[in-house]
Amino acid sequence: MTLDELKKLFSDAVFIRAFENGMADLAREGAVPGLLHLSNGSEVAELMLARYLNAETDKVFGSHRSHSLALSGGVDAGALALEILGLKGGLADGVGGTQHILSAETLFMSSNGIVGAQVPHALGAALSAKTMKTGGIGVAVFGDGASNQGAVFESLNLATVLNLPALFFVENNGLAQSTDSSELTAGQGVAVRTRSFGMPTEQVDGYDLYTLDQTLERVIGYVRDASMPAMIEVFVPRLSGHYFDPDSAGVDENADPIDQLIERLEAQEVSKDAIDALRDSAQSKIATLVEGLRSRPDFRNSEGAQNG
Amino acid sequence: MADVSIQQALNQAHHALMAADDRVVLIGEDLTPGVFGVSEGLEDRFGSERVINTPISETAFVGMAVGAAMTGLKPIVEIMFNDFMGVCFDQLMNQAAKISFLSGGNINLPLVIRTTIGAGDHSGAMHSQSLYGLLMQIPGFTLACPSTPADAAGILRSAIAATTPTIIFEHKGLYGATGSLPSAMEATPFGKATIIREGSNITIVAVSKMAREALGASDELATLDISAEVIDPVTIVPFDYQAIEQSVRKTGRLLVVDEGTALGGFADHVIAHVSQTCFDAFKSAPRKITPPHTPVPYGFDQESAWLPDVQDIIAAAHALMGNG
Repeated sequence: MTLDELKKLFSDAVFIRAFENGMADLAREGAVPGLLHLSNGSEVAELMLARYLNAETDKVFGSHRSHSLALSGGVDAGALALEILGLKGGLADGVGGTQHILSAETLFMSSNGIVGAQVPHALGAALSAKTMKTGGIGVAVFGDGASNQGAVFESLNLATVLNLPALFFVENNGLAQSTDSSELTAGQGVAVRTRSFGMPTEQVDGYDLYTLDQTLERVIGYVRDASMPAMIEVFVPRLSGHYFDPDSAGVDENADPIDQLIERLEAQEVSKDAIDALRDSAQSKIATLVEGLRSRPDFRNSEGAQNG
Repeated sequence: MADVSIQQALNQAHHALMAADDRVVLIGEDLTPGVFGVSEGLEDRFGSERVINTPISETAFVGMAVGAAMTGLKPIVEIMFNDFMGVCFDQLMNQAAKISFLSGGNINLPLVIRTTIGAGDHSGAMHSQSLYGLLMQIPGFTLACPSTPADAAGILRSAIAATTPTIIFEHKGLYGATGSLPSAMEATPFGKATIIREGSNITIVAVSKMAREALGASDELATLDISAEVIDPVTIVPFDYQAIEQSVRKTGRLLVVDEGTALGGFADHVIAHVSQTCFDAFKSAPRKITPPHTPVPYGFDQESAWLPDVQDIIAAAHALMGNG
């Protein structure tokens, strides 16, 4: 990864984190109609995933917790924010909402209100790519909680027997909603299961950015070139609760993958001022976005219509 | 032109549609040779990459078809019996039905699901249901119940061209039913009922195989000087309300014959709607004929007693006419 790529990764990760925190602020004001699930902690892994995907040919399908995945997959932040607020100008003019983000033209295709339901959809994108010979792949992003869904088991088998270019990208944050997923998962977890299907499987520490980057390049290259499925399980923290409430997160707030990016920037002798400038620039874009939302005539919060 | 069966019409339509468009793929279990003969010869002609035999994993293969339809293919998925929708219902109810809506219409879902319905072949309670009424309660689907070879092929043709999902319910007891098929590529429009017999005393709306039963009953009713107008809706969503209303305004009497469920199903919907729009035209209270509200029984006698038949229709017609 070049220094410029590293700087961009940092800026994008900070932008996404600020976006999520901005949405959480709006939710606290009562401006978000639905239940908000934040992506805090998974941004870096998702941005790194997108580095090896091709927006022209590949498609990514995510879970209910997909704001970061959408942003890293090319969805416009303004349209996403309006969708989360249920307003006109959102991706679907507000009929879909935070858990149902669908985007036809971007690398990111959809998120889903049903845990695990998106996984077979990625097989469909893989089938389309294979049938139409585009060289593309389908990517299913899901959590360790979803790994106990029948849709996931069935999809692991189906992708294997049909030789589909599908990547199963598991973000293991150790939580199934709010329960320790190890209490709910038999055996040694999802990686052992995917290996039993004969599928190449890699497990990566989400803080080990070098290994994650190498693994993504190698495994995605395999899926694409061999037209076969594979799985990557990346261990990431969930730095927020099941909803946006930080008090229920139960994680070490110091264990933030964005800090790893800062360390690497510093190791390449990027000054603290330069890092702060990148952060401030990304955060100010979100501040402007959020203020713009608050000033819309159709903005509403728990006190009712504010500007209408 | 020689008549063909519904099975042959569907087979010809699959061949023609797959030859015309490389994006059409067929997905399902046991497609070669195919349980009801509809997919005969397709794998030989189009290869296993387009005629995709799947494991017995309805959630995964219906979900895969949803994803494929989102990304440029036009999948035809065969769910062998509509009873098996129970194991993949999330992919139908929450996924296929809602994706286009949730995208604000920005994502098309040209997905065709073909499945079989119907009692009468002693397959028992888990292979004999007619569940279109259940699916009717979920916004987002076009639902078709063709009863002729031309409509079976024509609905498939329209479904392939649609931008939202279609479920085609094929009655197992009709695969051998014959009729003309002018062209395997001629579309049958959605939402246009067929008046299969004109009449003046009673409007009989009958779905799928019940349309044939109603036609048989109407012959017998004619000998009793009761003139029945028999209407096959072809698609139940969208539904041709206008055709039914026009007929009821002419006859003043409505009978709905439906092999689907007795409670809250297709028949109830039609009667509720027409009662609101044509109440002033009714000469007698509208009636429905459905099976009793039990699972489909297995034994020869129990199953035939459960199914509506010509005699039930004649009895209901007499009641509507005030003859008994």
